Amino acid sequence: MSTGARHAGWILAGYAAAACLVALAIVPALWLVVGAFQSPQARLNTLSGPWTTDNFRDAWETGGLSIAAFNSVLVTLARAGLNVALAALAAYPLARFSFRGRQTVFVLVLATTMIPEQVIVVPMFKIAAGLGLYDSLAGAVIPFSVSAFGIFLCRQAFLAIPRDLEEAAWIDGASSLRIWWSVMLPLAAPSLALLALFSVIGAWSDLLWPLVILQSEERFTLPVAINRMLGVFATNPRVAYAASVLAIVPIVVFFIAIQRWLKPELFGGSVKG
Amino acid sequence: MKQGTLRAHRTITPWLFLAPAIVVLGVFFVGSAAQVVVFSFTRYSAFSEPEFVGLQNYRALLSDRVFFSAIANSFFYLLVTPALIVLALGSALVVDSTVRGGKLLRLLLFLPVVTPTIVAAVAWRLVLSEDNGLLNQIITLVPGAGPVRWLTEHPFTLMSAMMVTAWKGFGFYMMIFLAGLMQVPASTREAAAIDGAGPVGTFLHVTLPSLRPTIVLIAVISSISALKVFDELFVTVRGVPTDQQTAVPYIYDLAFERGAFGAACAAGVVLFAVILVFSLINLRLTSGRGE
Repeated sequence: MSTGARHAGWILAGYAAAACLVALAIVPALWLVVGAFQSPQARLNTLSGPWTTDNFRDAWETGGLSIAAFNSVLVTLARAGLNVALAALAAYPLARFSFRGRQTVFVLVLATTMIPEQVIVVPMFKIAAGLGLYDSLAGAVIPFSVSAFGIFLCRQAFLAIPRDLEEAAWIDGASSLRIWWSVMLPLAAPSLALLALFSVIGAWSDLLWPLVILQSEERFTLPVAINRMLGVFATNPRVAYAASVLAIVPIVVFFIAIQRWLKPELFGGSVKG
Repeated sequence: MKQGTLRAHRTITPWLFLAPAIVVLGVFFVGSAAQVVVFSFTRYSAFSEPEFVGLQNYRALLSDRVFFSAIANSFFYLLVTPALIVLALGSALVVDSTVRGGKLLRLLLFLPVVTPTIVAAVAWRLVLSEDNGLLNQIITLVPGAGPVRWLTEHPFTLMSAMMVTAWKGFGFYMMIFLAGLMQVPASTREAAAIDGAGPVGTFLHVTLPSLRPTIVLIAVISSISALKVFDELFVTVRGVPTDQQTAVPYIYDLAFERGAFGAACAAGVVLFAVILVFSLINLRLTSGRGE
């Protein structure tokens, strides 16, 4: 076999592998879309009709998805906004100031990355309930409004910023908060965007904590509502499929909007801690 | 003033910046972590106040067959790690070598990462349906192969949840591999190619060795998240008995279905000890890099 032919063979194999991977990534989601549009008479896991949009209507109205969608948007925006703000605030002195206790704070923050929420969910529930957060959207937001991971990500971004820019602002008489806001934040934008992306994905997807802390249906977030539908509409899972399809749409739109920030380099940094 | 700091400031300033984060992490994470240990030594239910009982919860766990099954299943679940690494590394290599459309491919393979886990679980529940699910339709094309009971028969139920974990995760780890591949100088790979190494030889002798730290790192991170798995099992294989699930669903069941908070905390402490081993390895790895 000539070198050229062998080269062409590798290219072909590459395309075949790419096609298989894309199929793996999107076929399950597409299969869900098919199921969501099938009427109860249609056989699931086939491409046969009759087709209908009733499942979406049932999910939205009977299944209470409209309220859940609203709650999810609220909780996700609050969690993502707070995660970026609180992490960026905390990271600034850790990256730039010298003060007594800095090392201790840093080590303690580091230690919280080793505490899995799944392990401490019981006392966290009791603490949140004790603070009056049981069955409230604030309760779904506040315990997860900052993460040690976010603080590290921001700290690393700040450490990479040259000091000259802050010095210039300092000489001009700007306050610490002013410098943080108008010098540090804009320069750390790619990392902040990545943190926002992770926070949005995490909050939108979170099931365990909302499941524990939320009680009334009118406060359910989308994952909790979908989980409930799997039980309530057990005989017609197509309603839950429709709800699931509706739950993907906003996050995919958000992802496509933010995808130009999605650079592998950032991921390399994000796992370093 | 220490060398390297920008300037003097009022002592209160750094603490004002730190305060919100410290309060949240302190109250909810450090506070909960301390309490989980305390509660683990108490008889404490949804209907009673905690009462100190010493090691009783731990002794009860040791004689609980269901707990041992759940922990064993958690270890079985760790097998998702090699699957994730192969899938993620394969994806990274394909994306990296694609001349045109690499960006689009990267985007498409990242889509499962942004999909909410419960949606991924519902989708796979459909694909894995036992009567005529897509996967069983494909399997039964093979002569002699019967449909697999993905949603009810142990350990296929675990494997079903692992498929969801792998599907949802490989795009994320692919990005880390792509970052790792950027560290492998193209010139090194080209030099290997000029020396007559084929793509396989270049991969085995140049690319793979230089990706070793990335592989180890991903193995540790994905093992930690495998030990913490909940959504995939809770949704994909709904209703499967607790002894066929992993540690976190066991804890959830104990605490929020049975109301046995104290026992659930003891189980949590044991799981934490297991995860800690992996976390410490992770800490060693990450603090050695990038400094």
